[in-house]
Amino acid sequence: MDEPLDFEFEESSLVSPNVTKKKKKVIGLDDLLSDFYQVKSNIPKKESKRAKIQKSDESDDDDTREAELYDYVNKCQQQMNEISTDDQMPLWGLQVFGDQKAMPALSFPELRSCVLLQSFMGHEVNSLLELKTEEGEAFLEGLLVNGWLLKLVTDHGRVGKCIGAWTFDLMLYSPKEELRAAACEFWCSIILPKNQVDTIMFEMEWLPNHSELKRALEIYGFLLDSPNKSSSNMEIVDGDSDSAGPPQNIKSWIKYVSVCCQARTTRSVFSTSDVEDLITSVICLFLDRQLLGLSSALKDCLHSLTSFFSDDAFHSSCQKIAKSLSCRVPTDVNCLRSVESVAGLGARSKHLRSVLAFQFLVACFDDKLHDEEQILRSLISTNLKDKNCDLLKMYIHLVLAENWLFCNSLLKDKPIISEMWGACLRNCSCQITSTDLRSYASKVRSKASYLLQGITTR
Amino acid sequence: MEKRKRRGRNNGGIEVNTMAILDTSGFNRDSHHRHDDSLAFLEAVRSASLLPDNGTPPTNTMREAIFQILKEETSLELIVGSYQLLNELDKRFPRVCLPKMEKPESCLPLTILNEVEEAWCPFSLGLDRDEETHKVSSGSIDPLGFHSLIQELVEMINQKSKALETKILRKMLLLHYLVSVLDADFVPRNNAFKEKMSWTLLRDSLLNMLLGSRKIIYKGLVKDCMSVLCDVISDLSDQSESTSDMDSMAPSSREISYNCTAAFALALPELKRSTCIYLEKLLRMMMELDTSRNMADVHGLTTRADGVRTRAAEIILDELAYNSDMISPFFQVFDDPWWKLKMIMQYFQKYIPKASVRTRRSKSPPVNDSTFEGVLKCFSNSSSTKNIIKKIGTEIAQLLLGHAFLAYLSVSAESSAEHVDGFEEIVKGSCLTEICKHIIAAFTSIRKEDKNTEILLFGKEAVFTAASILSTKS
Repeated sequence: MDEPLDFEFEESSLVSPNVTKKKKKVIGLDDLLSDFYQVKSNIPKKESKRAKIQKSDESDDDDTREAELYDYVNKCQQQMNEISTDDQMPLWGLQVFGDQKAMPALSFPELRSCVLLQSFMGHEVNSLLELKTEEGEAFLEGLLVNGWLLKLVTDHGRVGKCIGAWTFDLMLYSPKEELRAAACEFWCSIILPKNQVDTIMFEMEWLPNHSELKRALEIYGFLLDSPNKSSSNMEIVDGDSDSAGPPQNIKSWIKYVSVCCQARTTRSVFSTSDVEDLITSVICLFLDRQLLGLSSALKDCLHSLTSFFSDDAFHSSCQKIAKSLSCRVPTDVNCLRSVESVAGLGARSKHLRSVLAFQFLVACFDDKLHDEEQILRSLISTNLKDKNCDLLKMYIHLVLAENWLFCNSLLKDKPIISEMWGACLRNCSCQITSTDLRSYASKVRSKASYLLQGITTR
Repeated sequence: MEKRKRRGRNNGGIEVNTMAILDTSGFNRDSHHRHDDSLAFLEAVRSASLLPDNGTPPTNTMREAIFQILKEETSLELIVGSYQLLNELDKRFPRVCLPKMEKPESCLPLTILNEVEEAWCPFSLGLDRDEETHKVSSGSIDPLGFHSLIQELVEMINQKSKALETKILRKMLLLHYLVSVLDADFVPRNNAFKEKMSWTLLRDSLLNMLLGSRKIIYKGLVKDCMSVLCDVISDLSDQSESTSDMDSMAPSSREISYNCTAAFALALPELKRSTCIYLEKLLRMMMELDTSRNMADVHGLTTRADGVRTRAAEIILDELAYNSDMISPFFQVFDDPWWKLKMIMQYFQKYIPKASVRTRRSKSPPVNDSTFEGVLKCFSNSSSTKNIIKKIGTEIAQLLLGHAFLAYLSVSAESSAEHVDGFEEIVKGSCLTEICKHIIAAFTSIRKEDKNTEILLFGKEAVFTAASILSTKS
């Protein structure tokens, strides 16, 4: 295992002396890479040198000739630039949200007659406040924003239907930041009381179910709900239409879902299939670049969602989630993003990540191969030297396979798999030379070498 | 092969190989590539350190490189990515941790904490003297840098320029990270201090070293924290319609940040809110440090080298008294009910004219203004109410009463067992219904004294709440 890897021998003529010195230390990926780029950057230099020599030989002062040479050098330079920018990974990102639908009206006439307000109107203290029924809603908003409402329901131990539905709608549909944030705080506090010592169980006259959340996503313009990969949607669209993209309320949505799952022991709001569906949606949300700034909240949410299941339910749910995602997300860089959005920090998260990566890998082979060995065999048999070989695809396969195997006990349990995976990685790092200028060639090569390094030292 | 040698080589290998991803020397790489490389680097660190069950912590060079990305990058993806990675790493490989609780009581104070040797830390807080040499090489933040970060936030929030969007986001996340580092270091040390009365543990905390640095003006730091906190929260309440926020943004963004503006607009309100929460946490830690320090003083554990500092709570109260516009936003954010109640009590004690003489003369029982009920009783007769209003103003009196009541409601729902630091004597001997009656009486009396002004909306809400609670109890 400690023998130098095969590719360390090749093209020794290109390896500069200071590199060979370092070589004993580690594998030296950086050296190989820098060699590769040095070779590339040497080409224009040579060209310009040649040009100069020619110029001095035939000193006819031929302007046109000089211009030609200039052009030639410039062209070379341009080609060089093209080569180096070719390698850039395509940006992930799907248009997850289309046009928003009309937000439901937030008027609640019945609010004025709710018990909370009515019981106060006749109270003697009202002579001090002079509160009128017409001002009821505005006054309740104040109570909500400043946190009084939560104290009141805590004291009463009960949340009336009217107050519940009103605050829930404010949370999901109010355009006012202050109100939606306060309403979200209110709901999170009722569902999951912060004070864990003596768990207050609120008596809820009305509890929103999963379909309310689903409806909200629909109204926000969520597109990836149905499992068809319409390619027109996949293009990254510059948000030129004003209503494209989710409203600010999506933050409250994410937070609320997360809290509901954390409270699963005290209050069951969701069923197992609801949570499966929510996980699929949340992973889709990761694919929208507009939600990039919310990825911390999304991560927390996904974590809470995966902790929801009982242990035996989780494994079958993972399969369902992975299947449904592989129908919605194309097998390009976006599927890598969805796999990586599963943090992989706990056992469950690792399992989901692995299952998801495998399912995408199956989708990459058009659902024709379902067997682990078959898939690896087909990866090994890919002829990377073939000019038509899609190296970006290969890169995606590599990363998917890595995630599938890494978060899985297969490598330990089945030596054959481990052997095949090693062979596959060696293939990638050896069949592609360091001077291969095809797009993504260096990406595949360096990824494979990096992973190979990890396997050999593990 | 010998195990140890192998392991050492292995670690070095990870560092060299991972750092190589970021290496730009030798060839001129454009910004796209640097962006790709940085992302690949973050992912590589993640998969090497966090994903395996027995992952090794990244080396100091690697952590520093991640921190550098958070400090300097302009792309949203990188800023958010590096911020998350740093937090995840700190959670997985904490710098300071308490040993398991099953350890016997007999262990020495210093072994309470497993301090990870020479772990990288975003702060450089050594002795002021040798910092000069240290600073150049590392990208870590010194006390001055921390203070100027907060000052920059003050400026940026007041400017409200759209062009600053990435910058403000980066600075906020940087602040969040730094405060979490301070918090993760301070909380276990403070708990250990309370248990074992070992001042050295707390003296060596990052927070104490930061605040004790001669490079910053402590008072200024507290004031700047407060002004960021208040500016941000009033900025958020001003924003009636956030959609207008998105429209007003010019679509001048460069191609790399396609629909980035939308992402900023979505992230910003939440970030501002959490900035307030982090600053509140920072101020609260300062006050807790003061409390513990006071305790250490009483036990004769501090030395002269510890210096003297004004208590943070005092600076805050002075600032609130001087700048009364801050009272409402400050207490809106400052949510910890015990501290809130305590601070409002101190405010009243400081500015209420000593009524005890007066009440004794009028033959009513002496008023104890160290309890909440006692303060409320000061508002029960018209002459002392008049005095208080004259001293602090009607509006401020109403705000303070309202916030104190709000805090009291949280406190009374909580079990008071966990707070031992002299908090519960504030609420000693009072029951909810009595307090509610007092609140209504106090506002009635304020209204009577000052007939020209109506009760503030916030005051009305307080009275409404008190009356509603009373009606369920009767």
